[in-house]
Amino acid sequence: MIKYFSILLVGSLVIGPHAYATEPIKPVDHSGHTMQHDDGHDMVHGDDHMMDAPPSEHSKGHTTPEGHTSHQGDGHHHMDEDHIMDHEGGMIMGQNFDKLPTSCDSISEEIEITVRAGRKYAEKFPGTAFAFDNQEWRVKPCAKVTWHFINEDHVRHQFMMHGLPRYLYKYGMFHLEVTGPKTISGTIIMPGADETYLVHCDIAQHMENGMKAQLVVGKGGENLPSIPGLTPYAFTDIYKHVDLPQVSDKTDEDSIMKQVADLFDSNSLNSGMLIFGLLFGVLSVPLIRKLKPIRKSNNNNQ
Amino acid sequence: MPIHFLIAILSFCCMSTAVIAQTAKLPETVKVDPAALNIEPICDPKIAASWREAQEIEGVKIKESRLCNPDNPAWIAAAVKGTNNISMATLMQTGLSPDAIIKTDDLDGDGDPDRITIKLEIMELNGSSRDFDGLVPTFDIAPGIQPGAWVFAPKTSGMSTENFESVRANPLLRLPSPVIRVEVGDIVQIVLENTHYFPHSIHLHGVDHPFSHHEYGGNDGVPQTNEMHLMPGERRVYEFQPRHAGTMFYHCHVQTHTHLAMGLGGIIIVEENRPNNWLQTLNIGGGQVRHPSVAIKEDFDQEYDLHYHAMDKELTGIIQKYNDPRLIAHEMNQRYDITDSTEDYFTLNGLSFPYTLRESLITVEPDQKIKLRVLNSGGELLALHTHGHHATITHYDGVEHNPIAQIMRDVFDLAPAQRLDLTLNTTNDGLHSYGEGNWLFHDHREKGITTDGMSEGGSMSAIVYKSYLTEIGLPKGSHGVDLNTYFSKEFYQRKVPVWQDLDKAGTLGTPAGQTGMTAGIDPATRTSLLNFLYGLLLGISIYLLIAKRQLAKQAVLRVVSLLKGSKGSIKND
Ligand SMILES: [Cu+2]
Ligand SMILES: [Cu+2]
Repeated sequence: MIKYFSILLVGSLVIGPHAYATEPIKPVDHSGHTMQHDDGHDMVHGDDHMMDAPPSEHSKGHTTPEGHTSHQGDGHHHMDEDHIMDHEGGMIMGQNFDKLPTSCDSISEEIEITVRAGRKYAEKFPGTAFAFDNQEWRVKPCAKVTWHFINEDHVRHQFMMHGLPRYLYKYGMFHLEVTGPKTISGTIIMPGADETYLVHCDIAQHMENGMKAQLVVGKGGENLPSIPGLTPYAFTDIYKHVDLPQVSDKTDEDSIMKQVADLFDSNSLNSGMLIFGLLFGVLSVPLIRKLKPIRKSNNNNQ
Repeated sequence: MPIHFLIAILSFCCMSTAVIAQTAKLPETVKVDPAALNIEPICDPKIAASWREAQEIEGVKIKESRLCNPDNPAWIAAAVKGTNNISMATLMQTGLSPDAIIKTDDLDGDGDPDRITIKLEIMELNGSSRDFDGLVPTFDIAPGIQPGAWVFAPKTSGMSTENFESVRANPLLRLPSPVIRVEVGDIVQIVLENTHYFPHSIHLHGVDHPFSHHEYGGNDGVPQTNEMHLMPGERRVYEFQPRHAGTMFYHCHVQTHTHLAMGLGGIIIVEENRPNNWLQTLNIGGGQVRHPSVAIKEDFDQEYDLHYHAMDKELTGIIQKYNDPRLIAHEMNQRYDITDSTEDYFTLNGLSFPYTLRESLITVEPDQKIKLRVLNSGGELLALHTHGHHATITHYDGVEHNPIAQIMRDVFDLAPAQRLDLTLNTTNDGLHSYGEGNWLFHDHREKGITTDGMSEGGSMSAIVYKSYLTEIGLPKGSHGVDLNTYFSKEFYQRKVPVWQDLDKAGTLGTPAGQTGMTAGIDPATRTSLLNFLYGLLLGISIYLLIAKRQLAKQAVLRVVSLLKGSKGSIKND
């Protein structure tokens, strides 16, 4: 974790802690990037920029547009253009408005996708605890996607995408995080290739218990495992028969029918064997009878 | 053909018997080559040496820590000032959420904040995954020992693991649940955000709190008497304004017999009210308090939080065996029987020996007065023994013992949930202290110094005088045992002969196994194998006897006649 943020720290030291806490939100200014893009340096730009402490005036140009977060009133702390956090831990990382992936000539479509997250979306998937409202989204290659992540629970959830090109996205990640009930938004540009990207919440046991989905770009790549209702689990539990008390058990506890039924119910394996034995007996009698004449004939031959 | 087969089996049997019968020389001692072990560095290489120094961050004075793995000083600064009163640069070094610790309003005008909000999440450590055959996020209590656990964790920001490539837990997510410090008169809100897949609660054992809060309702954490379960994804505020100081205990009160043992319990300390008393609200990982309260500084040179815990591997293994929360609930609530349980792992501040050496040593100098706050959150009585020292019991369960009746002991018994405040005096007078040294302190129930029965392990640690501490914060062993072996998972997998290096000859090492065809087979298997061969031999002989009875008859007759012939010849002589 510490390492994870140490690079960002360099940036934040330069910018200063609360510089933007009270500043009004400015429209996005991408002039710096556009210039670099025209130079054809956008490929390396991402990494270089993130490693170096950005000059403060550069950073000033990159405040978040008003429409992209629902909790602007109290302002944001800016680590750098790539990592924005508010005072309650709402976080946008790896946002990209304008850096075109090398595999794209232009942006193919500009779309907005709303993702809801919470315990209630897990209800339709027995054996899970948390989920997104959708388990798969489809966009065109080179699409510019604005994600509106609505966390309906009263705890933290994340919308974390992995496998993005590292020259544009630090650690190959795009990450929205917010404590609900609240919304946070962020924009990215998908690469041009057909690919399927992992989307999950990294809070311990959230992905493992349902908060897993995939973003299919174009025709997509291989499906990811263990997505609730969508793809088979890589590892699954063994579910054994559970003998729970039934209402019918209570009504006529003393009747003979009940006791007979109990005999069969009490041990499914035994009752199964009983039937198996019965069938075997019934079927084998004629078989033995058929065999007898053969033996006799054999005896006759001798 | 059967004759050849028979001969082959016969000769094999003879060889095997010969190996057993040969007793002229016993096998040589074999040793484990240290190079064959996965030995971890004794100190975590990721921890910066500068963390050990006395320093000031955000105006917060942080005492020196001589330990090999000291706390992150940024954690301490954030805990003292509050995450709302520090720079983003410092906050980023903590990994805490910006709203993890909020400190505002000096209500009594004495120079310190009196409205304290502490946000806690519930995190699972060493749990199973439906995606891969392994545990995540991992937290080792000792080399290779990863019991499934649940902890209250300070509210974090970002991932649960170190990074996307690693399965190791974010350093804020660890055993034990953090030590909480508040001041008498503070309006404290503990906000529990249930990020876990089970219902939980917080019960403030010993802390002055109203049974029910006028705004937030149930405040005692007990589902059967006071409040509903806090379900996954929900948040609850526990508000209180403590009037009495002392060392207390907070824990989950939902299915307490399993949830507490899983790790959902920690120390909570109410400190006396003093002016300008900026407390270290969280002591993550417990141990040395590097920013003690004003009252403690008045009377003591140092302060340590010591949280003892114990876990049953049958219980901790449930979350590693099952994924489905319904199956875990079934196993824990209906199948697991605590009355048949045994505790296997014994920890001090979340770790077992040798990791206790990294961060739970009590480092002292002569003529010091040291405050020890001890909690036993295990299921059995604890018998803590301090080598070389008699300490004084000043408080039981957060209540001061009559000063003239306070007693000195060298074994301290703590019932489950009990807290003791001890004063350790390092004056070399033959009673308080026997002098400088590297003195062990450990649970004297001997299983307490084992890890799943393997010694040395458990909650064992040491009181180490400065003169016995190495540059990197490890105790100088005067007996010369190489500590490295303990830092290998193979040791706790019972693969290393404990006494192999006591002398050059390895007289108490492990003997080599038998050589030859039966090498590597244990005696029991070898016996049954031999029995099987004898049986086979017998069977074949009987078969041959019946099948070739004509031949056998002839052979017998021939032998008989031969004998008769010889007899005859003798007679004839
Ligand atoms: Cu989540
Ligand atoms: Cu609980």
